[in-house]
Amino acid sequence: MNILQKIAVPVVAFSMLAGTSAFAENVKIGNIEPMSGPSASLGQQGKAAREMAVEEINAAGGIKSLGGMKLELIYADSESKPEKGVAEAERLINTEKVHLLTGCWNSAVTYPTTAVAERYGIPFVVPVSVADKITEQGFKTVFRIAAKDSWWTRDQFAFLKDMQAEFNTPVKKLAFVYENGDWGTGFAAQWKKLAEEGGYEVVLDEPYPSTSTDLSPVVQKIKRAKPDVLLLTSNAADAILLTNTLAEYNVQLKAIIGSGGGHADPSFMKAVGKNAAQIFDIGEWETDVNKPGAKEANEKYKAKYGQNLSGEAVDAYLAIYVIADALERAGSLEPAKILEALRATDLSSGPGMIVGYDKVAFDETGQNKHAALVIVQVNDTGNGLERITVWPKNARRAGYTPVFPMAVK
Amino acid sequence: MLYIIEDAINGILMGSIYGLAALGLTLIFGVLKVINFAHGSLLMVSMYVAYWAVTLTGLHPYIALVLVVPVMFIFGYLLQDIVIKPIFKAEKNVREPITVIIVTTGVWYILDNLTLLIFGPQYRNLEANPLRGKMLELGEMLISVPKLWGFGAAVLTTLAIHLFLQRTATGRAIRATSLDREAASLMGINAYKIYNLAFGIGTAIAGVAAVALVPFYNVFPTVGVLFDIKCFIIVVLGGLGSIGGALLGGIIIGLIESVAPQFMAATWTEAIVYGLFLLVLFVKPSGIFGVKHDW
Amino acid sequence: MTRNTLQRLLPLALLATVLCLPLAVRSATYLHIMILVYLYAYLTTSWNLVGGFAGVLPLGHAAFFGIGAYTSTILSLQYGISPWLGMLVGGVIAAAVGVLIGLPTFKMRGAYFALATIAFAEGFRVMVENIDKLGPFALNGPRGLQIPPLNFGLAEMMFSGKEPYYYIILIMLVAVLLLTSFISRSKLGYYLNAGGEEPEAAMALGINVARAKVIAMAMSSFLTALAGTFYAQLNLYIHPKSAFSLDLSFEIAFIALIGGRGSIVGPVLGALLLRPVSDFSRIYFGDTLPGMHLIIFGVILILVMTFQPRGLQEPLTRLYERLLDRLSGERRAA
Repeated sequence: MNILQKIAVPVVAFSMLAGTSAFAENVKIGNIEPMSGPSASLGQQGKAAREMAVEEINAAGGIKSLGGMKLELIYADSESKPEKGVAEAERLINTEKVHLLTGCWNSAVTYPTTAVAERYGIPFVVPVSVADKITEQGFKTVFRIAAKDSWWTRDQFAFLKDMQAEFNTPVKKLAFVYENGDWGTGFAAQWKKLAEEGGYEVVLDEPYPSTSTDLSPVVQKIKRAKPDVLLLTSNAADAILLTNTLAEYNVQLKAIIGSGGGHADPSFMKAVGKNAAQIFDIGEWETDVNKPGAKEANEKYKAKYGQNLSGEAVDAYLAIYVIADALERAGSLEPAKILEALRATDLSSGPGMIVGYDKVAFDETGQNKHAALVIVQVNDTGNGLERITVWPKNARRAGYTPVFPMAVK
Repeated sequence: MLYIIEDAINGILMGSIYGLAALGLTLIFGVLKVINFAHGSLLMVSMYVAYWAVTLTGLHPYIALVLVVPVMFIFGYLLQDIVIKPIFKAEKNVREPITVIIVTTGVWYILDNLTLLIFGPQYRNLEANPLRGKMLELGEMLISVPKLWGFGAAVLTTLAIHLFLQRTATGRAIRATSLDREAASLMGINAYKIYNLAFGIGTAIAGVAAVALVPFYNVFPTVGVLFDIKCFIIVVLGGLGSIGGALLGGIIIGLIESVAPQFMAATWTEAIVYGLFLLVLFVKPSGIFGVKHDW
Repeated sequence: MTRNTLQRLLPLALLATVLCLPLAVRSATYLHIMILVYLYAYLTTSWNLVGGFAGVLPLGHAAFFGIGAYTSTILSLQYGISPWLGMLVGGVIAAAVGVLIGLPTFKMRGAYFALATIAFAEGFRVMVENIDKLGPFALNGPRGLQIPPLNFGLAEMMFSGKEPYYYIILIMLVAVLLLTSFISRSKLGYYLNAGGEEPEAAMALGINVARAKVIAMAMSSFLTALAGTFYAQLNLYIHPKSAFSLDLSFEIAFIALIGGRGSIVGPVLGALLLRPVSDFSRIYFGDTLPGMHLIIFGVILILVMTFQPRGLQEPLTRLYERLLDRLSGERRAA
């Protein structure tokens, strides 16, 4: 290849990139995700799950009401930066002419990018970005699959209450430890309210920098505050560090409850091993969920990408099926028609519905009103460590009794 | 009181590992007179080398030193020789060439993202190593064993580097170059060779720090960034270019991070660290302990 | 055409082209990319007053950027004050902070100065992240501030199209370029230059180098803060990690060095070359090879610094001169 060709290839590729949008033979879905930078792990899980859904839908004949039109995913890297997300949303909408957008995992990126989509009237499906505010901006084009953070925290406290009754073990003192970003501080604010309402005593309310290199000072604070239950909101690196350090310092608690995120990251269990045992975590989906197709979907994903589906990945997977369902009913690529169809969503079956709840339908703010959460306990019942669903009780894995309070190690 | 002693011990141990991570940076600064913004990335690369060395061979992490240190020395040596030296040559007349800072930042971007491409964004962790999770019980106090090993490694490395610079001919040549490049080259010392050597040694020390970290810490592509700014602060506190200062600077940071959270939210310790850093810069820019160069 | 006429006409032609660009480029994508080019050219030109003329390496300009973004946003969200006014208030606060930072740091040399400015900017970020309310002002800690896209219009500095943003930042850029070219020919510019190159000699000549640097710092931080307001109004969301971003501080310095530090056109050239490369490579590789765009960015930094340590401004100026020669058929008067 001579020099000219070397230059020509990317130039042609660029111009093709800009040019293909003129004739749309596919439904274009733009996806803004953190593909590099500190949240890359989550962005790449979301990408893998979307890909799997799209492959399945296309293999099954695409969108039939649109003449078998295929879905096409276009990715953009936000690097977890709001301004990159905004620039990419502009590009995806104006140059790629996407029909829908999804993203962005980081709430800080989702706020301003949904505002861009709103301005152009382009439907924006948010698989996961849990901040309440996202569906409370008054936007008409935003639809969220995942539960919002006030529901996550509400369910964490409901779970705590149920466990106390079931195991006759009172819990008085709580400790809140959370990363000091948008997500962690959002959860903590809700926890404080709920603790007050529930009559708990908060013995520790501790944010920590998500860039911490040593969390033993925080663990010491937990140990000395002597809480009954520890609630955590952590990203992967700090979840791993905290869990290991808690074990090293032999901190005795009745329960540790995570908030998904780092605790649900596929690398978490691998990296902490048996230190993860008996930790509770909240999420929207588990490998043991009693839903047709769930097991198969997980096997397929695992064979392809080498890790279990995480709650975040399943939300992305479901989001694509929700989009496909809406497109099927819209029978058109007009944004207004797609929006109308999304608003009328009432999805209760299909390969995408492997989540713990039975239906996807959006309320007037665009929040999936059926989104529900399950709480799992990490434990080893003879098949190695796994996430075992324990709450709500009707979803609990048959034959499993949760360990509460945690056994003294 | 016991709590504070326990926290202080943890702070000293963790801080000494910070100091060890910063030691290479200060050595490179002392000789080349540039801040190496790629230092965190070199630490990250070292951590991957250490992780794979231990995972593939099943050796005790500290035995993996015999692999990690030479590999990182060669890596650093070649990096300086191939990438950074040409810029020094182009900027012969500048004492602290800013262009080199930019180049090291370029190296940082390349290394971090190349690692992301090759190994993916996953968090890795040495699950089964003999040091993991071990705690020493001292009455009611608990002390982390892998951090204790790290402390030992930090002190020994600092001592070894000090002796190397003071007692060996190569060490003296390095010191001479750092004090006066022109004079040294008049005496027949090839400054660029010394630069390569210093960069290689500095990177090898990052390798030692990596070995101290992997038994209890995560390995992932952006891990270097977490240590980057910390290392800069440490070397300034200790005096840029001061070998012993790096260790002491690290211990100060470790102490603040470990003791201060008992009196305030952990997030405020960052602010204290920056505040102290600026204070030292204004009051005694040569560092808390530093004469300009104590070697 | 004579060479002189050409030399005068070409910049005017260029200005006319950029003014008409939004008429030709209807795509908001490319306008957005151009807006970012101008924004970074503006930021780098402002930085250049200190980083270029005064010969130090500030790596913490995000502090001023963040102050500008937060000031105008808080004033408009909480008190309904127009961002235009908030912009100036932010600028004044940033200038004051710039002087406070400059007074002690300008005594430092090289590496110390660079590290001190980083520490200041990071210190600001940490504080904003930890403070929910500063007196009556809601900073909202790590959650940041959102500007609801409701009142579009010039007075609110909020528009549904890209064109108004394009012209605002273009006018800001042209103004700051005129300002720097004026300063570089003024006494202040001369003092700064002298102080940057030969501080001892300059002081021996009775030039108050320190004072010149502090004045430059005040101007530079004032101007940087204005861009912060523009950024907030463009993205309609700010949070500590983006408004006080260390990456931003670094990128400004990169653009200056790649373009040519201390020259007037350098920052513009740098932004014009680096920004699109980083945007397009992110677009092109973001999907298949995550992180590749930053690798490319790093390689460019290294190559340019190795082969053109004075920046691309030198060879490009030579090229431009030759073009003028060719067009006019005259040789440049030596």
